[in-house]
Amino acid sequence: MNSDSCFTFTCPVKTNSGNIALENLPVELSGLNAGKPLVVTNIAKVGRKAVRTLTGAFGDSGMSLGVFDSLGDKVDPALIEQLRTTFIEEEYDSIIALGGGTIVDSAKILNLTVSLKITDVRNLSAQTPVNRNLLPLVVVPTADATGLETAQFARLNGAVLSSEYLAPVLVVIDPRLTRGKDVKTIYATGLAALGRALESHIIAKENPFRQAYSFAAIRFIRDNLPAAVRNPDDKKTTLAVINAAVMSGCAFSGTEARPLHKLGQVFQEMLKIHPGIIMGMCLPHILDDYLHHDGNGLASLLHPLTGDEEFAQTPEVQRAGAAVSVLHRFMADLHSAPGKDVPQTLREAGVPPYAIEDIFEVLDVDPNGVYLRSVVERIRDKTPMAEKKG
Amino acid sequence: MEIVEVVRAGGKPFKRAYVSIFLWFTGRAIQAAAKVDEQVRREFNSLPDDFTFSLGVLPDGPWMVIGREKGQVKYLGGDPEGRHLHVRLAMKNIETAFLILSFRESTALATARNRLITEGEVPQALAMIRVMDIVEVYLLPKMIARLAVKRYPSWTPGRKFFGRIGIYSRAMLGI
Repeated sequence: MNSDSCFTFTCPVKTNSGNIALENLPVELSGLNAGKPLVVTNIAKVGRKAVRTLTGAFGDSGMSLGVFDSLGDKVDPALIEQLRTTFIEEEYDSIIALGGGTIVDSAKILNLTVSLKITDVRNLSAQTPVNRNLLPLVVVPTADATGLETAQFARLNGAVLSSEYLAPVLVVIDPRLTRGKDVKTIYATGLAALGRALESHIIAKENPFRQAYSFAAIRFIRDNLPAAVRNPDDKKTTLAVINAAVMSGCAFSGTEARPLHKLGQVFQEMLKIHPGIIMGMCLPHILDDYLHHDGNGLASLLHPLTGDEEFAQTPEVQRAGAAVSVLHRFMADLHSAPGKDVPQTLREAGVPPYAIEDIFEVLDVDPNGVYLRSVVERIRDKTPMAEKKG
Repeated sequence: MEIVEVVRAGGKPFKRAYVSIFLWFTGRAIQAAAKVDEQVRREFNSLPDDFTFSLGVLPDGPWMVIGREKGQVKYLGGDPEGRHLHVRLAMKNIETAFLILSFRESTALATARNRLITEGEVPQALAMIRVMDIVEVYLLPKMIARLAVKRYPSWTPGRKFFGRIGIYSRAMLGI
């Protein structure tokens, strides 16, 4: 790394992770000058038990909190406006988003409207300036996090708002809430984290702060995702996977969107498929393309993926190829976890054949559309690894 | 139509009662230990004459207040309100307090996990941690005390036996 290179990095997110981390919420909120939070979530996604665990964590604090648990699968401007009115009338002073993905997007948009006194959510766009501190936003991620919860982005029906002020000030990761409902959920979360961390790490050569986050996220995934996929009920490994997702969001913040991320987002927005599922399918193809196109960036992946010894023993010119081989092996191991069925083709992921043309139409608008389209074409008729083995 | 449900944080009466009793008895035991144990007396002698210390739970207690008055170490009750405190050691919530005071996590580990907030001079806070460790060794059987302190001391059986009798009886009588 060149020590005199110019770089910037912002990560306003404080992380509180581990056993009974949720119980720290009252003291953390009071440190943020907040005493009456509004909890927003989607009970169908996170489950009643998660909501009870969160509200129970406020026991003995003397606080009262509002709970809205009926967010939908997408950010609904009309609902956000209703919540905004209630937030102001009932004098709430902070927002806690319980869950991941669109729940956090809704919380970020709500925070924007109440902090900047925006009355019409439909007027928000990627050009809306967000240039001052908002009210405290706390994110409590669950197993279906996407990693973008900690990033400085908020998605509002196709538009991406970007500002460092949109990022939460606090993330609380508690093992009671990180256990996966099923193999697919934790697999998807892990691969979304891995995908974004890899893409951030490749371009983080000149940015030691970003590199620190992406390095740690890749290591956490390497060490814990296989075990978490084998047993999604395991507190220790699922906690590590969610930590990796949080770190990947911080590493990804402020970077240019790369192919893996873009593909994951397009499928999520159009078909409500967790981006990690698609990123997992595209990862081997994109890595092979990176190898032929930009081997230098890939070489830096070998260190977090293996370790000091193997990295030092591998000649510099072979590091990129070695990193790709390690990742291919890692993916094959994940898919071969005994008795665990995770989607490996678009059909298994629930993508109807007729939807592919719509996906292509959206991808064609992207400056890198031809390439993104070629990746989707490659995964479209892919044979699952299990069948190949058979 | 109200779309937001208002939830009032409930209480945790059992844990609160346990922590209150523990702090009350530990406070009296520290007062007793300052009279019985030479090492505890030395620790207090190194502190200012009007030294006051409190240990408790955020946001609303329970608390224990210990202070020096005319050279004597006194348990000053459970209300730190209005007192000038030299050191305040606060556990962030009742669950944390229960975790530490039921010896499932040692003070050192809890500090490393950022479960405590220290306000005041660090050397004075460390002196009080050492005092509490000594008191815990007196009060608890070895099997449990080992979980509570960083390193279990190798005392003579006489010190432990007579100290334990002295501290328990003084703590019970409040002298």
